[in-house]
Amino acid sequence: MGKELLKSEGGDTLLLLGNEAIVRGTLEGGVRFVTCYPGTPSSEAPDTFFRLSQGAPYYFEYSVNEKVALEVAGGATLAGLPTLCTMKHVGVNVAADPLMTLAYVSAPGGLVLLSADDPGCHSSQNEQDNRLYARLGGLPCFEPATAQECKDMARDAMLLSRKLETPVLLRTTTRVNHVRGPVVTGDLPATPYEKPFVKDPAKYVPLPASARVMHKRLRAILDGLVAEADASPYNVESGAGELGFISSGVSRNYLTDVLEEEGLVGKVRLLELGLTYPLPENRIAAFLSACKKVLIVEELEPVLENEIRALAQTRGISVEILGKSEHLPRLGEFSTANVRQAVRAFVGQPAAVVEALTVPGDLPRRPPNLCAGCPHRAAYYAVREVYGDTAVYSSDIGCYTLGFLPPFRAADFLLCMGSSISTGAGFARASGKPVVAFIGDSTFFHSGITGLIDAVAYNHDVLIVILDNRTTAMTGHQPNPGVDTTIFGENPNPVDLMALIRACGVEPVKVNPLNHKATLAALTELSKQTGPRVLVAEYPCPIHARRVGQAKKTLPARVAGDPAACLTVRDNLACPAFAMVDGQFTINAEQCDGCMFCVQLSPDLKPGKKEAK
Amino acid sequence: MTRARIFFTGVGGQGTLTATTLLARTALDAGLPVTSGEIHGMAQRGGVVESTLLVGGYKSAIIAPGEADVILGFELLETLRGLPMLRRGGFVVGNSEALQPVGVCLGRECYPPLEAVLETAKGFAAQVVLVPCISLAEQAGTAKAANTVLLGAAAACGALPFGVADLTRSIEKYLKPKLVDVNLKALALGAEAAKAGQAA
Repeated sequence: MGKELLKSEGGDTLLLLGNEAIVRGTLEGGVRFVTCYPGTPSSEAPDTFFRLSQGAPYYFEYSVNEKVALEVAGGATLAGLPTLCTMKHVGVNVAADPLMTLAYVSAPGGLVLLSADDPGCHSSQNEQDNRLYARLGGLPCFEPATAQECKDMARDAMLLSRKLETPVLLRTTTRVNHVRGPVVTGDLPATPYEKPFVKDPAKYVPLPASARVMHKRLRAILDGLVAEADASPYNVESGAGELGFISSGVSRNYLTDVLEEEGLVGKVRLLELGLTYPLPENRIAAFLSACKKVLIVEELEPVLENEIRALAQTRGISVEILGKSEHLPRLGEFSTANVRQAVRAFVGQPAAVVEALTVPGDLPRRPPNLCAGCPHRAAYYAVREVYGDTAVYSSDIGCYTLGFLPPFRAADFLLCMGSSISTGAGFARASGKPVVAFIGDSTFFHSGITGLIDAVAYNHDVLIVILDNRTTAMTGHQPNPGVDTTIFGENPNPVDLMALIRACGVEPVKVNPLNHKATLAALTELSKQTGPRVLVAEYPCPIHARRVGQAKKTLPARVAGDPAACLTVRDNLACPAFAMVDGQFTINAEQCDGCMFCVQLSPDLKPGKKEAK
Repeated sequence: MTRARIFFTGVGGQGTLTATTLLARTALDAGLPVTSGEIHGMAQRGGVVESTLLVGGYKSAIIAPGEADVILGFELLETLRGLPMLRRGGFVVGNSEALQPVGVCLGRECYPPLEAVLETAKGFAAQVVLVPCISLAEQAGTAKAANTVLLGAAAACGALPFGVADLTRSIEKYLKPKLVDVNLKALALGAEAAKAGQAA
């Protein structure tokens, strides 16, 4: 999706990904400043801003982590610019510290925080429900369900934030970020919005005395917003009858499809919520009063359910409220299938019988795998050669987490972004066992560096291997502070990783992991030392190198000797370019990246010959 | 057919998502309401990529087991794995060629035979059509066009709410000019192979 997102006049129908629609919506809301830390399922939103950033009417950055992203964004809105900050759900935990106070300090230019939650853990370590952050921090919350709503709600979240001068949460889930559908665009604003900063420390500096006043102001804004939520076009009622359904976010899609397929449209009452915090209390109360029995359909935590139960009790409405405990699970994501069963049970129909094929349970799995030519494979191989199973491996968030799988089994535990060094240090201190902590370059900048500082300060006995592939590969090759090249060319201000480590108090050793002999020698030497040690294994991600036009042209490797003699290499590397054809080991030239690591491990493997291709 | 749930499954790097978007644009151009979804978070090269296209007024972008009118399988094993999504009387159009998962290459797991797909779907699907997408794409000029071969096959055997001519227009309209010819050739080869397969 390209420049049409920047077209100023509206009225076009574009086929957009939810995340792209969010970009268009915030542009229609007048956004002028965008910060983020990438993370699935949020990444295409900032990536689209980045791709369009040259000559665009906004500033954009991939911040070093989510806390910094939100803090930079906070500065921008204080300076009066409409601002967007994007991250995945677990990123909000990193940003939670500034977030909790930001709503006190206020957002004069407007500030929308996109939190992309991941019910079902498609690409995340947990499935926390960030609607609870709206309650904790005092942020009005929108929950879109379609691409069109992603666009419209992103715009209106920005406008509402500007109007109230308070940050607003745009809470999506994986299936919404990655939905693709038609979106009718609106106009981009003709004049850019800004609100000049006027010094007023009592308003913007939360010392205890002023913080108490700020908290009162925030609660007043939220109380005042109930009327707005009651009247919001995103909170829609339809149908009639004694049976009612209340739903929000993507669950609305499943529910409305099911009601249609079950022939219940119009025969039951339906309240769909899009602006969900603060609750449209009066509207919900009126809805409850008209029903005998209500089913709340929402993924993950029973947020609406609990609040609506409380509302019914407060207002003295006698209505049966059902939800999580009776019909719908608290774990994982919904589908039309489980919503259908819940709806049928609720209206007193027998469970639907689903007729579906079964396939053998022992089909070969296809786990995501380190790519052919990935330098991490070489680094893991060398570490395994030196430490085998004697070391405990502390891992972190990134492509290299895939080293968890055999044959490397290079991840024994993992907590969150940036944890490998500190958790590894704690484990080493507590157990006395040798620990190798793996961390990527982006993750090191994100929040690994504080672990290194701690390891130096307390002399933790941990070998840190920084897998530096010159990009943030896992989320789609976004630049990080250390990279030298981006899709727009050379990075003029790269942060010197080696100097940074040195400044923390460790003399790092740098190797090219694809040079096996040198890597092995460095690791063997480091394994004899104690205290915090750092090996930087630096080689560019091959996909990134290709994308920025820096890939070196090499020919694929080939089997030059006895294929049977190469099987150990196959077993130890599990490179996706390896294949068995008619029971014989071979290298798939189409897949092979030409990294030539395997060639160093067996005399039966050789670099490709020119005439071979 | 104006209302259809189409389930796409393949391996990262095969162009599954590109094909999904192309079909979504085709549906929009035909004036049909459309919603589409994809899961690609952990799908680095070599992982499974699944996507959906729902045509004709559905709001949900996901498909539950037993709900798909059509399964488009870009890789043989993934087609087999995706069969539980099919509804009775649906279509299966797939690539007959394999991409070995790493466990198979390591000799720890066995790749199922082509017949497993046919056997499993027999008596349940209205039609199962498997064509050698990679070989045909190579014949068209590049293995990368295997996704278009599959679309051609699906359109030709009537699995989609649109025909080969609609897809031809979309390829001309939405692909980069230098990719148009090879993809048109791939589309035609796919359509031809599917018709031959149906006749057989």
